[in-house]
Amino acid sequence: MTSTEVYLENTVLGPKAGGLYRHQNFATGLISGVVLGFVGWVIGQELLQGSNWGSDMTVTVTCVGWVLGFLLGMGAFNAVGRWILGRDEDHEDQLYGAGVGQGWTRYFKFCTDHKVVGIQYLVLVMTLFGAGGAMAMMIRTQLLSPHMNWLSPQSYNALVSIHGMVMIIATIIMVSGPFANFIMPIMIGAKDMAFPRLNALSFWTVVAAVPPILGSFFVGGVDSGWTTYAPLSVQSFPGQDMFAITICTFVVSVTVAGINTLVTVITMRAKGMTMGRLPIFVWGSIIAGGLGLYAMPAFLMAQSALITDRVVGTSMYAPAQGGAGWLYENCFWIMGHPEVYVILLPAAGALIEIASTFSRKPVFSYKAMVGAMLGIAGLAIMVWAHHMFTTGWAPTLANPFMLTTELISIPTGVLFLCMVGTIWRGNIWARLPMYFLYLFLWNFIIGGVTGIYLSDVPADQYFHGNMFVTAHFHFTLLGGAMIGAAGAVCYWFPKVSGRMLNERVGKWAFWLIAIGIQVTYYGQFLEGFEGMPRRVVNYNPLFQPANVMSTMGAYTLMAGWLILLYAIIHSWRNGVVAGPNPWHAKSLEWQTETPVPLENFLVDPVVTRDPYGYGEEAPDATQLTPEPVGAANVLLGNEEGVL
Amino acid sequence: MSSEHHEEEEFHADKREQIAEQVEPFFEGGPIWKRPFFGVFIIWVVMTVIGVLIGLFVPVHVLDGSSSSQQDSVKLTIIVFTIVAAPVSGIVYGIAAYSLFKWNKRGSGKLDTPPEDGPALRGHGPATVIWLSVSIVLVVFLLFWGMMVLSSEGTPEGNAIRMQVVGQQWVWTFHYGSTDITSTQLVLPINRQVEFEVSSKDVTHGFWPVQLGVQVDANPGFTTTIAASPNKLGKFDVRCSQLCGLEHAYMQTTGRVVTEKQFVHWLAQKGASKQAIMNFTTDAK
Repeated sequence: MTSTEVYLENTVLGPKAGGLYRHQNFATGLISGVVLGFVGWVIGQELLQGSNWGSDMTVTVTCVGWVLGFLLGMGAFNAVGRWILGRDEDHEDQLYGAGVGQGWTRYFKFCTDHKVVGIQYLVLVMTLFGAGGAMAMMIRTQLLSPHMNWLSPQSYNALVSIHGMVMIIATIIMVSGPFANFIMPIMIGAKDMAFPRLNALSFWTVVAAVPPILGSFFVGGVDSGWTTYAPLSVQSFPGQDMFAITICTFVVSVTVAGINTLVTVITMRAKGMTMGRLPIFVWGSIIAGGLGLYAMPAFLMAQSALITDRVVGTSMYAPAQGGAGWLYENCFWIMGHPEVYVILLPAAGALIEIASTFSRKPVFSYKAMVGAMLGIAGLAIMVWAHHMFTTGWAPTLANPFMLTTELISIPTGVLFLCMVGTIWRGNIWARLPMYFLYLFLWNFIIGGVTGIYLSDVPADQYFHGNMFVTAHFHFTLLGGAMIGAAGAVCYWFPKVSGRMLNERVGKWAFWLIAIGIQVTYYGQFLEGFEGMPRRVVNYNPLFQPANVMSTMGAYTLMAGWLILLYAIIHSWRNGVVAGPNPWHAKSLEWQTETPVPLENFLVDPVVTRDPYGYGEEAPDATQLTPEPVGAANVLLGNEEGVL
Repeated sequence: MSSEHHEEEEFHADKREQIAEQVEPFFEGGPIWKRPFFGVFIIWVVMTVIGVLIGLFVPVHVLDGSSSSQQDSVKLTIIVFTIVAAPVSGIVYGIAAYSLFKWNKRGSGKLDTPPEDGPALRGHGPATVIWLSVSIVLVVFLLFWGMMVLSSEGTPEGNAIRMQVVGQQWVWTFHYGSTDITSTQLVLPINRQVEFEVSSKDVTHGFWPVQLGVQVDANPGFTTTIAASPNKLGKFDVRCSQLCGLEHAYMQTTGRVVTEKQFVHWLAQKGASKQAIMNFTTDAK
């Protein structure tokens, strides 16, 4: 039994602490969601115009019923309800809400403890990657031979579309979900996030968002790709409505989480933790959070208008009635390009932490790095139309957008400089997270260079809409950001789980992943050069060798991820106990004990310098003051503060 | 205030000296093959040469044919960009790989405690400035290259022939301008600029005559234009590059580039009157 569990078990709360929430968990959420979904179905079917099962109105109302019902059943709105009724939560209720005294069951509840939310996110992300990965394997298997008819065009299109969106959802939350929740508040010396209930809301909203998009397979799927360009998406199957509901729900989650991250960092930093001393990972998280706040609402608008177009016959995207598909495309990419940096920046931040810790050196040029991240974020909002070079929209804007797109390689280059500069002359400690940093450097250069071809309008006229683009963005998102996330998992695993990751197994996984990525996407680059369009179910036999290569690579890649998953699960249960600071790192999250107690620190930390003082004669980043603090101690009656 | 400032500066100067004692100089000291500069340089040269070779040989061999000046310039662009990118990637790989070879204690991955701290280098002004300047110069080059190629492609020629392309699920139809000929075959005369006026009857398609190296979406309700200059006789592919529903994969056809004479002959065969053909092929607008 870990000390956190001792603490949670030993704290005796009153029998009524938590109120109604005592009886709510994932199961009641599911039941309530299904019931309200059914109510929605009846309303859609009987009262509104839906005449046949599966019509757009019915599907939409059912999904809305599910989302609201699920969150209601989870207890997401309890606190607000009680506040409205004038019976605000007291301290005991809040402690119950943070999971005190509930053991492992708190992972299935609307728990406000940021560490619980972080672990919930981690499990959800891995589940989503599993689902998206399985779809990818089906897609690659279909593409083994040019005239394979294992999948029908309809199911193939559905798989391509939903693989894309599920992976995008997973990658957006893969670092900012688990680590910006679990690690980031500890890094800045906070007791929790600024809005713990919103934190739980942001997680359970994603959970609510997942069933509709996966369920869309049962009502025809989506046949318009993850981009769901109108007007095709307006005419698509009812699965499109479920897709749109998923997006709208997910955007709420990202927005809520983004605000929470920003407010936490602005208001909850420990004494002495100035903005100039923030770990780079925290900078990455808040810049990504802010960028998400800018980007995601555009997607919400685009998809809401798509729903109204489909359900009630507005004509936002119908050219014949004065609408325009270009409107959708613009809204989509105003979200779509900043979003890749929402994915990348926290992962890059985590990699910088890794670079510093495992080179035993301070980060190279802290200010330049923060500036580069801000520069990337600033430019990211001005480049969206490079996805539209070949649409025919606003040809006069080709040059300006080519300029902004190519400019973004300057701050990205600075990020590279800071990474290799941090490694330079460091005493490299070649543990597993460092492996992933090197893989990131290798992959992201390739992803970046191929991006330059695509930023060039004339070359883009050949590569747009072909497999080259697919290979390019997989190299950046999978080979770059997701490798960063894998590095982050390996790096913070001892803090999150309390145990060391089995690196012998982990290195097997690493090499399979590293080789898998190269083979898979070199194959797809070849397909692109040869002129194979994206999203095709059958293809010209000319492209077969490249496709076979890519599929073989994809199988290798999947094997690698599964082995890494095995290493994670196995080590979580049986790994060597890690202790608070196995990497001898200097940032705050390693200074508190493992497992991290409720409210994170037994004594409030006071920060005297930034967390990168390797090789400098000075005290560590923290000076734990002797002042006893702690709800923790008082509650337990444990004066020593030892749990 | 000033004395404080002075102390601080002294402190930093001391620190710099300390660090300088810890690190070996980049350019000087010892035999040349032991200097960090040399190691990075070697890896950089190797990676750059590999990159340049890839740039010179891979695109030429795998890019699917070329039937127009536009596609020729796509090829050239890929080659030039790869060659320009090679030294930049090479320097990142050089620094990263040299660090790994030189300063990684063998077997350090099995250590439970970290090696000693490295030198406390917190940045290097000149390196940052050089890095920034080089990347700015490169970006300016890329931009000018793109603008130059784009403007040379964008200028319409006087004797361009104009034809209409219509996409619908899942077939392309080509209208040969004033001749009133409509066909699902795309036949083009060589060495004449052709301007495609592209639109769609239903959803968005992507008109992509592959080996002509141009591409534009077919949007319902608008007409978009793109010009190509076929310069090689033979077949080329026309594919749809924008997911357009169930049979998107099959929305393709082959086109042909023929001589002017064959082109006129083909139009006549399709039933175009002599006058219409004359107007179509000689008249600019």
